[in-house]
Amino acid sequence: GRDVQVVDPEVRAHVYSLVTALGGFNGEDASKYCLGDDALACLRDIRKWLKLYDDKTNRLDVARCLAEANLVNGDLLPILTLCRETTGSKKKHLARIALACLELLVPLTWPVEIHSQMTVNHHRHTPYLQQAQVQYKRGILDRQAGSHVLRSVIQIALPSLALPKSERTNRDDGILKLMLYLCRNVAMISPLRGLAAEGDEEETSRSATINAFQTQDVFALLLTMSSNMGDDFNFQDVIILEILFHLVKGVDVHKLFMDDAQRSDKYKEELNDLLRKETGVSREYAKTAPTRHARFGTMIWVKRDDAKVSTVSGQDVLKNGQAAFNKMDQTKKWNRPKHVGRKREVEAASGDFNATTHLTSAATKNLRTFVEEFLDTGFNPLFTHVRKAIEREANRVLDVNTRQFLYLVSWFLLAERVRRSSQRKRHEKDKGTSREIEPDSFSLVAGVLNQETFIFLNRAMQYSFDHGDWQDLNANLRCFSQILLTVQEMAASPLEDDQEIAENIQNRIFYEETTHDRIISIVRGYKDQGFGYLDACTELLHVFVKMLENYSKENTDMQIRSKRRAKRAKKDSSENKKTENAERNESEEEELLDAARVSKERKFDFKRFASRFCNQKSIDAFMQFTTFYRELDDEQLKRAHRFFYRVAFKQDMSILLMRVDILNLFYRMIKGPGALDNAKPIYREWEELIKQLTRKMTKKLDQRPALITEMLFSKINSTLYFLEYGHEKQTVSAG
Amino acid sequence: PDSGAVLGLDADLKVTKQRAPVAKLDAARLLSQNGIPKLRKNARSKLRLKGKGHEFSDLGRLLNFYQLWLDDLYPRAKFADGLAMIEKLGHTKRVQIMRKEWIDEDKPDLKTYTS
Repeated sequence: GRDVQVVDPEVRAHVYSLVTALGGFNGEDASKYCLGDDALACLRDIRKWLKLYDDKTNRLDVARCLAEANLVNGDLLPILTLCRETTGSKKKHLARIALACLELLVPLTWPVEIHSQMTVNHHRHTPYLQQAQVQYKRGILDRQAGSHVLRSVIQIALPSLALPKSERTNRDDGILKLMLYLCRNVAMISPLRGLAAEGDEEETSRSATINAFQTQDVFALLLTMSSNMGDDFNFQDVIILEILFHLVKGVDVHKLFMDDAQRSDKYKEELNDLLRKETGVSREYAKTAPTRHARFGTMIWVKRDDAKVSTVSGQDVLKNGQAAFNKMDQTKKWNRPKHVGRKREVEAASGDFNATTHLTSAATKNLRTFVEEFLDTGFNPLFTHVRKAIEREANRVLDVNTRQFLYLVSWFLLAERVRRSSQRKRHEKDKGTSREIEPDSFSLVAGVLNQETFIFLNRAMQYSFDHGDWQDLNANLRCFSQILLTVQEMAASPLEDDQEIAENIQNRIFYEETTHDRIISIVRGYKDQGFGYLDACTELLHVFVKMLENYSKENTDMQIRSKRRAKRAKKDSSENKKTENAERNESEEEELLDAARVSKERKFDFKRFASRFCNQKSIDAFMQFTTFYRELDDEQLKRAHRFFYRVAFKQDMSILLMRVDILNLFYRMIKGPGALDNAKPIYREWEELIKQLTRKMTKKLDQRPALITEMLFSKINSTLYFLEYGHEKQTVSAG
Repeated sequence: PDSGAVLGLDADLKVTKQRAPVAKLDAARLLSQNGIPKLRKNARSKLRLKGKGHEFSDLGRLLNFYQLWLDDLYPRAKFADGLAMIEKLGHTKRVQIMRKEWIDEDKPDLKTYTS
């Protein structure tokens, strides 16, 4: 075949000659990098190529050539090491070269991602560049070579960092930005999932990044900058936020705060669970596995009505009727065509926080130390600062930052709670030996527990719900759940101040009826947004309802502010006016319709609230959630169980659950094939629930034969009451 | 003039064989004799649930009852698929009116109830 030129040969020639002129490993000492005579000029020229050719014409050609010429690993990184090691008269010149290297490293490691406005050129180069960037990351983190690239980069920025904020020039700010962006890029680049990694994947994993950040003092830098946010630093908040996001996304907080013994116990437990699951599967198979060879050729008839029979083959169906029924169903070939909705816009993989990441034990220790120190010093200043920046829509803030902010808040709140509980446990353990400790207050995370944050949160939630930004909403829901849980823990704190503040916060959260409505409508609106989202919204509903129930029990005369349509009386008065001046009133009435919602305080009725989320839509959402029962953990199974229990027995709406597909799922959960692990306590709870429900259903079927058809469908509101209670609803005039 | 050309008698006839239409599970089929009427009739005569103490066997029996009915009605679809399709049909006007009627048959005479 003919060689396909993916890049203009002239461009390639120019770029290659520049890279060659930069320097190389030759001269008397072959292991030492020799700078070319005009190295600085070469670096600047390469930068110009990147800027004037790639950026201006929106291509990635030069970046591709540079990747093929191995510029980063072959030249830039050795030069940076060289600069750090040299001292003396040449120092100043080398510092400028180092800075020029950094100026190239940042754009070269800048993540190339699949986005909606790609040209042919982008499609051609992106996979190659993504591979190349993983190589860059490998070079930067390389431990064997002992080249502390990140440390050298920090050294470049140190003089600018040391200046007070008022004396920093634009150039200094630029250098700080470059340094932080390089850290961000390093944290963000991850090996592509679909592609086979060249060499060891461990070298570019999250663990390797965390360890390098620890040994090369990047964590120390981040701590310094975030704890002085607002005083010495200003514009760097968002970049630090991004670095944190890419470091902690998907990290399991609970595992982070276990000590080694606990963690290995946990891993053992997980392994045990998996092994048990596997034996379960093989046992289930063994139960129905053929006891003769595959050609034994058993065939049975299933007798049916009207002298009809179905034939099923295989010996497994001899054992019990249920197996025959399953097999009859399984052998059907046709699948219902599923409606595939409008193709969603490509979501950049780097923003996804739903996938879990595993860390090595060394990395866990490093990250935990950092997280604890960050909570102690940097949390409040950084997050307050970022929130303000997002609110004021500062230029440096991107859309994705809101999501990162919300996710990080939820992550760190959970981290703080887990840390407290692990501290408490430790103290209980050596109670006899150590003296009593003062209970800590929650001031360490107070920066996100104020009224401003709640307003921000509510607004963001409403916005992303209205615009269908599900990933944003997902982060938002998680954040809100964590805040609720934190407040709940605060209310249980021994400190009186904490209790009072918690009381206050709960008051504010539960006061607005719009919040209640929104949470219900989010769960009701679930439709193909993915499992992560489903997990987040069911969790929020669970937490919210539970806390609201407790709170309204304690505060029996709880008031809420509801916005409802204005009373008739107002309209009447406007109608009187209408006769006087019909023309003017037309527009006025429109206005009135718009503003016809008045705020009013009224007594909160939990029963009424709870009955509102017992509807077919939210049951469907929970039902979708439960179909994943094989993969759910105990806490998630409990959540679904409590929901269904509440619907059936607390709200007396069991009729909503009497649908054949729901019952089918429930039956499979207990009796298989593919049942829950019956050694677990949660299995008993589910078994009991389904038992009770079936008992109720049998009774209902007796009383109302129409149910046999209604079980096929979602219930209609008008007949719901009759089916549940057997008589029509008495309309009581509201007194 | 050649009458054959005018009338197109000599031209080749193109016979395109129509694809046999695929049977659909729609409201008509659901409400036909084999559909819900049969389900209602059979439920009275064939479905016997034992009640307390036999919850899971009852549930299994009920599910099998539905599965066989669905297999007769629309053999093409798997049980879960068929259920989903019927559930969707339940939202159409025609089926809803029928559902209302079936329920009303159950209701005690309204006059005797209110008195």
